[in-house]
Amino acid sequence: MIIEIAAKGGFGGFAATGLHKTIDVDRQAAPIRQELSDAFKPDELARLSREPCGNCPDRMTYHITVTDEARHSRSFTLHEHQLPPETLDLIDQM
Amino acid sequence: MARKLLKQNEKVREERAEMTDIGAPHHELSPAALNRIAAQGESKLKPDRQIHDGQYKAALPGKLIRSEGDTETGIADADTAYDAAGQVFSLFADEYGRNSLDDDGMPLVATVHHRRNYNNAFWDGKQMAYGTGDGKLFRTFLELSVVGHEMAHGVIQYSGGLLYENQSGALNESIADVFGSLTLQRGLALEAHEADWLVGRGILGPDINGAALRSMKAPGTAYSDDLLGQDPQPWHMDHFVVTTDDNGGVHINSGIPNHAFYLFATYLGGKAWEIPGRIWYHALQSLNNPMASFSDWADQTIKSANELTGNGSSEAVMLRRAWKLVGIAI
Ligand SMILES: [Zn+2]
Repeated sequence: MIIEIAAKGGFGGFAATGLHKTIDVDRQAAPIRQELSDAFKPDELARLSREPCGNCPDRMTYHITVTDEARHSRSFTLHEHQLPPETLDLIDQM
Repeated sequence: MARKLLKQNEKVREERAEMTDIGAPHHELSPAALNRIAAQGESKLKPDRQIHDGQYKAALPGKLIRSEGDTETGIADADTAYDAAGQVFSLFADEYGRNSLDDDGMPLVATVHHRRNYNNAFWDGKQMAYGTGDGKLFRTFLELSVVGHEMAHGVIQYSGGLLYENQSGALNESIADVFGSLTLQRGLALEAHEADWLVGRGILGPDINGAALRSMKAPGTAYSDDLLGQDPQPWHMDHFVVTTDDNGGVHINSGIPNHAFYLFATYLGGKAWEIPGRIWYHALQSLNNPMASFSDWADQTIKSANELTGNGSSEAVMLRRAWKLVGIAI
């Protein structure tokens, strides 16, 4: 499983925010591998992306693409506040 | 107490004298608002700051490290966040009679060290959060106009709100920039012609070719860099950017109302947080339209100028001229 993450927006409104990561989940150590697989499950990302935004100035937007072993890709656009803090920590850690 | 009240009265008198000098009528603020400022004064309205260390994690608010009245922590970001929140509170309290972001004394909760190498600062509906920057794109977010901007988002939210997309979203951004810049100008005691009108001056990374994030004086000129590209802000409606990015260009088209405020404050001269700031603040309190367009907002600021400085005052004339110059005829 490959996870690609790009962020844009925020206080500056920039298209480039310095965050662009590609994570090969299968190459990670076992505990992290499990955490990543759980956090970036496509159905879970789809559910999170439907959560309401309300009033959220200056937040970043994440474009996340998950590609499985069969090379089938699904892409999601999520606002920063739609991602749980644990998932954001995982993104920062990778 | 008595001496402080006297000082407050002197201040109000000085403000009145200054406004008379430029031909404004005496009723620059409604009697109720003036009485409120005089009654509450600087001595009564006090902030309740609560600064947290996010410890480079995403969970908010993190560990409380400095409460109101506590001595310095020695953690630079935390102490700057504390001092800056005090200055923003003071702008709204001492100049506009507002008791905190909700006008009901809510605590000013902030988190520094939010996430790792995080290139952003925001208001999440309840509190402020500041990253450290990654050292390349951004070196810090603890700068007074940035703190003022984020806290102003809170004031806007509690003043009826402005939907964060397209023109109403760009107004939300612009009003946040206006009060961010006014906090800085007041902090440095700069008059309109002395200020640089930059938002986020000095926060960009050392190798980034740019002075700041935005320029209210010359939108579109704050930075020009290989990594960041060119500052995309227009200053005139002819160059309004239609896009689905950035919630419909909220950080882009805010350049237009930003420049109108700059022009207005410069036409009037003097301290921009006084008459221009009061007019903008009063307009925000009376707008009552979360989906306002630029034109709706311009109209509201003219109404506000008429109410605070008198019908057909020189201020109202100058304000109409400023809006016209950025392509908004009212
Ligand atoms: Zn903002």
